[in-house]
Amino acid sequence: MIEVRQLEKKYKRKKVLNGISFTANKGEITCLIGTNGSGKTTILKAIMNLTPLEKGEIFIDGKALDRETYETIAFIPDAITMMPSMTIQGAMEFMAEFYISWNQERATELLNFFKLSSRDKISQLSKGNTMKVNMVLGLALDVDYLLMDEPFSGIDIFSREQIASVFTSNLVENRGVLITTHEISDIEHLIDKAVLIENGKVVTEFNAEEMREESGKSVVDVMREVYQP
Amino acid sequence: MSEMFNQREPVYLQVVRNFKEKVASGELQPGEEMPSRRELANTLGINPNTVQRAFKRMEEENLLYTEGNMPSRVTEDQSILGQVRSELMLDAVEHFIAAVKPIGVTLKEIQDKVEEQYLLEASQNGGDNE
Repeated sequence: MIEVRQLEKKYKRKKVLNGISFTANKGEITCLIGTNGSGKTTILKAIMNLTPLEKGEIFIDGKALDRETYETIAFIPDAITMMPSMTIQGAMEFMAEFYISWNQERATELLNFFKLSSRDKISQLSKGNTMKVNMVLGLALDVDYLLMDEPFSGIDIFSREQIASVFTSNLVENRGVLITTHEISDIEHLIDKAVLIENGKVVTEFNAEEMREESGKSVVDVMREVYQP
Repeated sequence: MSEMFNQREPVYLQVVRNFKEKVASGELQPGEEMPSRRELANTLGINPNTVQRAFKRMEEENLLYTEGNMPSRVTEDQSILGQVRSELMLDAVEHFIAAVKPIGVTLKEIQDKVEEQYLLEASQNGGDNE
């Protein structure tokens, strides 16, 4: 379980996170939902220790973050972080060099799944295919938790469907996934839990199936109530 | 992706109903092997935990049975299969009644109309509906 407690963060004078607390379980897909600028990406960066915090604690399986716990978690940012001049093969070699948890077998499986060729240059890929490579680089790490920032943003419907089908496959099996999005309707049926964020605070968090069962509301219904009262 | 699903009803219950419809129509045969939970999640484009929950419900209702480590199979119990059919029919009839009630028609009118329309559609489908 990823546990985030009372995160506070300012950019200059602007408070971006104002006491964020939530949990994301292993074997589940948790979705951070919020409008642009609500602090979703900052939360993921905070978990990865990529941005300093004013306050707050983060635990992975009950342990504070240290060098060892970081081997159990991977971050897939919203834009690929590889050099554009690299080929996919080159990017994979780069990852293998840096991460003990790199699993080339799984990477190859993922490339086939996405119908990507390892000889292609990253700079010459379409936006959708660049995002797929980005996903491959993160998903091929043998980690317990995956953080993904807006994996569905700005790509065509078929690529979105392809990426979505990764979530139901054995490529994600038993791992904990924490994703951010502002377009939930595509993936309502994929997520276990929704965490709604506004103005740096958690407005509500709930299990999507329980919400449907107990109140007959979809995730989008709850969002309407929260964001457009 | 998951267009066959309604967003407001628990997805696992929709999976169970979909299964019952397939059993009633004969698309799924008694004793037929079910796909694994993972496969089904992938085909339907829904969360694997949801499929897991649907399987649990179907096992509780004795619609499925699992022997040891084998894949689950559709029940061969005739009384349960009969129940599925009458349950689906009752469901549809209830929906139908709820829909025609506000129009304020008599039972006789409804019966005649149902018969007329049923026969019409059967003849259009080349009479292959029995």
